Amino acid sequence: MKTTLAILACLFVATAQASTPASLIHDYRSQAAKQSSGFQPSAQRGATFFRQRFANSSRMPACTSCHSDKPMNSGSHAVTSKTIKPLAPAANADRFTDPEKVEKWFRRNCTEVVGRECSSAEKADFIAFLMEVR
Amino acid sequence: MDKIRVWDWPVRLGHWLLVGAFTLAWLTGDSEEWRLVHAYAGGTLIGVVLFRLVWGLIGTHHARFASFVRGPASVINYLKGLRIGKPPHTTGHNPAGAWAILSLLALGLLSGASGWLVYQDIGGDVVEELHEGLSAAMLMVVGLHVAGVIVGSLLHRENLVRAMLTGYKRGNPDEAIATPRAWAALTLIGWVAVCAWWFAR
Repeated sequence: MKTTLAILACLFVATAQASTPASLIHDYRSQAAKQSSGFQPSAQRGATFFRQRFANSSRMPACTSCHSDKPMNSGSHAVTSKTIKPLAPAANADRFTDPEKVEKWFRRNCTEVVGRECSSAEKADFIAFLMEVR
Repeated sequence: MDKIRVWDWPVRLGHWLLVGAFTLAWLTGDSEEWRLVHAYAGGTLIGVVLFRLVWGLIGTHHARFASFVRGPASVINYLKGLRIGKPPHTTGHNPAGAWAILSLLALGLLSGASGWLVYQDIGGDVVEELHEGLSAAMLMVVGLHVAGVIVGSLLHRENLVRAMLTGYKRGNPDEAIATPRAWAALTLIGWVAVCAWWFAR
């Protein structure tokens, strides 16, 4: 019984956290390369994207509206003022470790903040930027 | 059979508050801009459910769980009646509806409680997924409940939606409730406001 539970626990962890930020960048890079061959993720483009004012939503015009200008710091929800844990993996090791969760939150937040879904290239750049933040 | 008063004010108001809160919660579930509204909807839902649990013990006759919750045999009997188009008429909730009500109260409580944990950032991804699963399960039971109401309304030739608005249904005069308990509806409104405020803090 104990071993079964242990195996189940391992499987659960394996499915829930099968990724690292680097492996996610790799996956998004591969997807993006299908559209534009030779695509390489750029932390600089990611930084620009992170600070861009899309102004699709008046209360959340940019990523920084909730995630703070410095991804090493905690953010504050623009509507509820609830604390949001840091985005940078260097400050929060849980970030970008679960592909499904990452996709879910890109989908939700891009739709509202950017006004459309984000491309694989944008996602690769975004994570590349956050990986470099120290 | 006459038209008699069956549903008191808290039952009716509570029902439509749940409809409104659940709908609003579904519409705002994927949005950050509407997250505060989503939390108010969740607080309202939990408030109504908690009130209803107490009202199911101290409310008017047809509001009390003891008056309408029946065992599996009664539910099967009712569903068999549905299949041949002749379900036994009940003045209050029918046995199948009663189980839908209990399921909705339980799921509403669990979905609301897990949503509160997510909102307070307690429990992480597991609770977040639990909240989504419970809410989806609740939507399914809502679907069953609405289907049951439509089928029941047609087969009993009695508009059950209108009954939940007006409080009047077909029944024997001695089954009527004496007072509609409007004062308790005011208590419900006050209680729900406190719950919504507390929930979204």
